[in-house]
Amino acid sequence: MSADDTSGVIEYPTEEISLSINGEEVSAEVEPRHKLSDFLRDARGLRGVRVGCEHGVCGACTVLMDGRAVKSCLTYAVQADGTEIETVEGLADDGALHPIQESFHEEHALQCGFCTSGFVMATKELLDENPDPDDDDIETGLADNVCRCTGYQNIYDAVHRAADRLETGETDADETHAGEDDA
Amino acid sequence: MSSRPDAETGPESDPDAETGDEARFAGRGLNRVEDRRILTGEAEYVHDEAPDDALHMALVRSMHAHADIESIDTEAAENHPGCHLVLTAEDVKADYNPMPTGLHGFEEWSLADGKARYVGEPVAAVVADDRYVAEDVVDLVSVEYETREAVVDPREARENEVVVHEDVGTNVGDHEELSFGDPEEAFEEADNVIESSYSWGRISGVPLETAGVVADYDRDADAFDIDCNIQLHTLVDDTVYETLGYDPDDVNLEVPPDVGGSFGTKIALHRYCSLAAMASKAVDRPVAFVEDRIENLQGGDMHSTQREYDVKLAVDDDGTFRGLDFWFVDDFGAWPRYPVNQVLKPLSVLTNAYDVQDARYEYDLVLTNKTCQTAYRGFGVPAHLYALEMVVDEAAAELEMDPDELRRRNLVESDQMPYELPSKNVYDSGDFPAALAHVQEKIEDERDGGLLDPETVAEKREEGKYRGARPTVHIEPGVSGSDWTNRQRSDRDELDERDREDVAELPEHLRAEIREDGTVRAYLATDSSGQGHQTLVTQLLADELGVLPSDVDVSYLDSVEAPTEYGTAASRMAVMLSGAAQGLGETLAANLETLAAEVWDCDEADVTYRDGGVHRVDADGSLSLAELADADDDGDLTRASYDYEHPATRLEEFDEALARKFPVYPTAAFAANAPIVEVDANTGEVEILKLYSLRDCGTQLNPTIVEGQAHGGLAQGVGAALQEEFGYDDSGQPQAITLFDYRLPSIENVPEMELDHTETPSPFTATGAKGTGEGGMIDGPASIACSINAALEPLGVKADRIPFTPNRVRERIREREGE
Ligand code: FES
Ligand code: FES
Repeated sequence: MSADDTSGVIEYPTEEISLSINGEEVSAEVEPRHKLSDFLRDARGLRGVRVGCEHGVCGACTVLMDGRAVKSCLTYAVQADGTEIETVEGLADDGALHPIQESFHEEHALQCGFCTSGFVMATKELLDENPDPDDDDIETGLADNVCRCTGYQNIYDAVHRAADRLETGETDADETHAGEDDA
Repeated sequence: MSSRPDAETGPESDPDAETGDEARFAGRGLNRVEDRRILTGEAEYVHDEAPDDALHMALVRSMHAHADIESIDTEAAENHPGCHLVLTAEDVKADYNPMPTGLHGFEEWSLADGKARYVGEPVAAVVADDRYVAEDVVDLVSVEYETREAVVDPREARENEVVVHEDVGTNVGDHEELSFGDPEEAFEEADNVIESSYSWGRISGVPLETAGVVADYDRDADAFDIDCNIQLHTLVDDTVYETLGYDPDDVNLEVPPDVGGSFGTKIALHRYCSLAAMASKAVDRPVAFVEDRIENLQGGDMHSTQREYDVKLAVDDDGTFRGLDFWFVDDFGAWPRYPVNQVLKPLSVLTNAYDVQDARYEYDLVLTNKTCQTAYRGFGVPAHLYALEMVVDEAAAELEMDPDELRRRNLVESDQMPYELPSKNVYDSGDFPAALAHVQEKIEDERDGGLLDPETVAEKREEGKYRGARPTVHIEPGVSGSDWTNRQRSDRDELDERDREDVAELPEHLRAEIREDGTVRAYLATDSSGQGHQTLVTQLLADELGVLPSDVDVSYLDSVEAPTEYGTAASRMAVMLSGAAQGLGETLAANLETLAAEVWDCDEADVTYRDGGVHRVDADGSLSLAELADADDDGDLTRASYDYEHPATRLEEFDEALARKFPVYPTAAFAANAPIVEVDANTGEVEILKLYSLRDCGTQLNPTIVEGQAHGGLAQGVGAALQEEFGYDDSGQPQAITLFDYRLPSIENVPEMELDHTETPSPFTATGAKGTGEGGMIDGPASIACSINAALEPLGVKADRIPFTPNRVRERIREREGE
């Protein structure tokens, strides 16, 4: 056993990156080996970015990079230089849940919630590209994400509901009865 | 996947349609209070908890299944500038205790001591500035191994040619043969004895969140604060404080409000907690550890049981079941992990929904060079129900009887309720034949122009696609007692002498206080991982106290504050929390009446609690909760706690089972399933086209959550039946160490489910609720396997292995073709 305090002695190479995260311009020094997921979670405090596997299967770490869903565990932070990143933290508007978030809530499309930000972001990409998806579209759009709790049925329902809400422009704040069932 | 029900037909959430009682929240599909923080990224999982000054731990793990550790050289690692600590078994043994194990006679240290017994077993722990550096340091620890032959096959392990623990001398850690009624006579007298063997693979919960811990040693207090996503933190905290050799009060285990799934698998995280605690004490800083997915799948102490069954059914020519005989090997892995063994729980549903009074049950619990076994949703029951339903199918084939008719004939009838099993557990209530009839009807409808229309089925068969469905009924035993769980560590001869009074069961604890603003804060003594316990308690307490759910919030107690609890396991919480909420509400209301009577200086009989306040009966006047809180100077009467006793403790029906330490599960939730499957004989792929299920968990406290649990459980059942498995090669190398190999069901694999619910309240519980947390995983695999049998009947192939993966399907078809 050794307990020498030697921290800070080692120097790892770093690179500077500049990017936009949820609309905010950010510059940072990162190690080239640091994953985008770790950068967002640790350096930026965006803990809605979750890591479930760190090898690209589960999709919990899904964020949007220039509008496209990427697995932030398979992306190095340096690769995000010059891009626009969106995470689940950027969705709610002044406290009002985004229609996708609200729909997940109403359809009980989350249990433990560990997969949820990934699903919400993948849904956002899906609906941005295809505002009226059918079940097959949803299946294809969300096939890169794994949920261990919900069995997916309620996730289909949530995506359909979100599509309806986005179409009618209805938001959390508009809905007078929203949250009525919220305890 | 073709068409799905539209959004409007999702979980019923119209309150009045549910109960017709507008005033009550229980029974309504209330949306969850947990959701908002999760959806906005504000949830607090243990992976988020490391404070800024925390150091990070990583583990050096064995790459061999069975090897002597000749030497460990830590010098290069210690010289790495980012390294703060390297721990080996030597260090642990100098200052701490071995970890508690699930059977007597085993001495297991937090780090492998002298010998590695499975791939992934932690051999050393390192602490460094961050996880990246810690992994650099791990690579610098050099361990010299002398490899040995490994024992992998559980049947072979019984031969003891390779012994996992030389000091124990045998791989058979435990063995028991139990006989109920007179099975010998039943098997002698029956017209037929059907006999077959079945395998159940290593499958487990694989929650999306891996294990994590942050330990912080407080030098002044000589005590530990440990945040961890361990399951049952108030029950299994002994695994941590005993290992550390500290008083329970000095090891404060706390579970964050959000846990990313567990399904039973996170009960055995004590090694991580203890190692992080030891490291924190050594470096005098908080130490965080987050298990990565490869560690989790390879050596994360979270695989569940593997079973090899030889099953016999004694059955008369007319189809009457006479006797059942189970013999099986349960693969414990390298160490008998505390406190888990899953061989006994099936006794609580020994004969499933069938009326059979003579049965034999024999098992060997064996040790092999594999990752240690822990609990998983259903706790050994899914494999049992699978083996039983397989032999019933086999009997139908041999007797040339319609399998539906054979099953129907043997079901326990509703007028036999409560029904005592030969193994002494009692089913509380239910109508199994009606449930079966319900799903049979669904299947009949599908034959009429639907998925099972004879013309479609014939056409598909031309393409080599075989469709089938076979309805089955399954019991989901709920609400475990705790006393029987240490049967393995008890002197079995003494069990015959035991009295009912010798049995102690753990209640469920709930406490609450009225705050100055008149809101109610309740405290759960257990942890949750997605089941919505906060929501449940919120709605139940709102009912009991006549307030709105928004006036109630619910938080958690840590392991020091909370009494020793059983907690979240065994489909317990709906029953136990609803009972506790009811009792707590009554206690608080009575307290508040006393308080109001003091304020008004009147007789307690002249006041009454209702609608969120105390009212005078004899005169005008009322006191709101806020006013009462204000009037309660010392806070005694606006605070209360309640312990809801385990339901079996009051019921003599369970006396014998309790005294003899047979598993007691006082609620029998049940399901009738009919998955429609299509097997592609060319590729071996099984697709579930649709899954019908009729489910009954007694009173539904929150139908939305009930439905969600069923969906999730069934999805895990689908994974277990068809695609998930921790395989090993002959040398003990695990074959599934990424999520590319351990194939969790994705949205593409989970079928459309059409669930119906009935409510047969339990006469044994306070609210009529039965457990519902484990359902679909308990009944899914068996029912899917039966439907595969139905589909492949023309080819003479049976789903005799779980998971029935495409290559196994093909293998079986080839075998038949070669015959
Ligand atoms: S954490 Fe990135 S895909 Fe799993
Ligand atoms: S809600 Fe738990 S993994 Fe999806």
